[in-house]
Amino acid sequence: MRLTRRPDLRGGPARVLIALLCLGGLGPLGCATPPPPDDPEALESFRQTNDPLEPLNRVVFAVNIEADRYILKPVAYVYKEAVPEPVQDGIGNFLQNLGSPAVFLNAVLQGDVDHAGATLLRFVINSTVGLAGTADVAGEMGFVRRDEDFGQTLGVWGADEGPYIMLPFLGPSNARDALGLAVDYFADPWIYLRYEKFNYSRFGAEVVDARARNYELLNDLEKTSVDYYAAVRSLYRQDRRDAVRNGAEAALPPLPDIPADEDDLEDEEKEPARRPAQ
Amino acid sequence: MKKKNPPGDRRNRFVRRPWAALLAVAVLLVTAVPPAAAGGAEAFIRDTAARVFTSYAGEATDEQRAKAFREILTATFELKTIARFTLGRYWRVASSDQRKEYRRLFEDFLVLAYANRFRDLGGVKLNVVSVRAVNKRDRLVQSEVDPGGGRPPIRIGWRVRETGRGHRIVDVIVDGISMSVTQRDQFAAAIRSAGGKIDGLLAMLRDKTGPRR
Repeated sequence: MRLTRRPDLRGGPARVLIALLCLGGLGPLGCATPPPPDDPEALESFRQTNDPLEPLNRVVFAVNIEADRYILKPVAYVYKEAVPEPVQDGIGNFLQNLGSPAVFLNAVLQGDVDHAGATLLRFVINSTVGLAGTADVAGEMGFVRRDEDFGQTLGVWGADEGPYIMLPFLGPSNARDALGLAVDYFADPWIYLRYEKFNYSRFGAEVVDARARNYELLNDLEKTSVDYYAAVRSLYRQDRRDAVRNGAEAALPPLPDIPADEDDLEDEEKEPARRPAQ
Repeated sequence: MKKKNPPGDRRNRFVRRPWAALLAVAVLLVTAVPPAAAGGAEAFIRDTAARVFTSYAGEATDEQRAKAFREILTATFELKTIARFTLGRYWRVASSDQRKEYRRLFEDFLVLAYANRFRDLGGVKLNVVSVRAVNKRDRLVQSEVDPGGGRPPIRIGWRVRETGRGHRIVDVIVDGISMSVTQRDQFAAAIRSAGGKIDGLLAMLRDKTGPRR
């Protein structure tokens, strides 16, 4: 299902927002300087990176990392280590079940009848047989969990990602997904119950649960990247594209074709046989 | 390939019209080749995955894991191709010394980055889901790994290239995230933040990987 008119976030409100941010006293701190126009390759790479707010985003990222280091990460660590794993799974399932109505709505908006039906069944089965959502009984019955949010819905409708944005405390995003986040907030039925304590605890639990789940991955990534910010950016964008495609195969990048018998260090260089025998 | 005896009239028809038989043989040959090649790629990935997963289950320390991982990496990955891809547009402007050092550091970096990444997958089983041709030399072997604990399966795509020395992996795509693309993106950013200097990236890689073992 596609909209006839493609919402183009890059050219629309996002561009205005960027212009405002760039002019709003942030100046060189806010906006990346595009490469000189006489360097088409650099320009193309700048365009593909799609991060015109990079300097500002890096500052936000650095603040996020500090906040994570002193607040979220220790909490997630204690949760991960002190709470027995079955309990963690139960909490994760419970939170996921609460998110099901919003997933259902987005599946409907995407015209994905199968997944909307599966999500509805998941919610009914898990809320009852699955003990208020703590056990993913429906998952074992073959109704597989797959999260859908409004950012993905916009993507399915053909919307461009828009520029990459590092949100304070919320982490990596882009114009499309940030808008989606706001829409999803209002698409979630539980917030209308006006039971504030429940809503805050739920949000807190979601953050800790997600952080604990990605604990090792983020640790590894930070330790083993030469540019943590850029690595997160690349992973986020690939991950979101995969989510919009629902895991369908992406176009593969063209890889260089080097003949097996040729070494390509330099044409003019005579290569001594220094490759270790295999 | 097993074949039942064709019915008599059909055999007669082939005898009467030899071109039909020839055509049939030609069709068989043409259609039989890709699956055969794909089967090779699939078997290669099964073997490699088994090696990776069992070596993890067996190795105790990080150092031993790294050593085992490096052996598998150099034997089953087309590192020259991957190294060149991940340096992107900077490969062309790199000097031969820079290329040489980059290639060496890149291998060390991969060992550092991935030797421990799959430590939880010791002893798991890999299911090959599909195999398809990407181009003349490359096959994409799609597989799934069950991480256990009721979590959804991890999707692992292996891009395998037919080289003169047999099959070699040129990219691994985990849940839609390509290892090669991720490295290329962060290397490009590192070079840009070093003022467009490849030596900047080399220094960072040197720093990360530490002294050469």
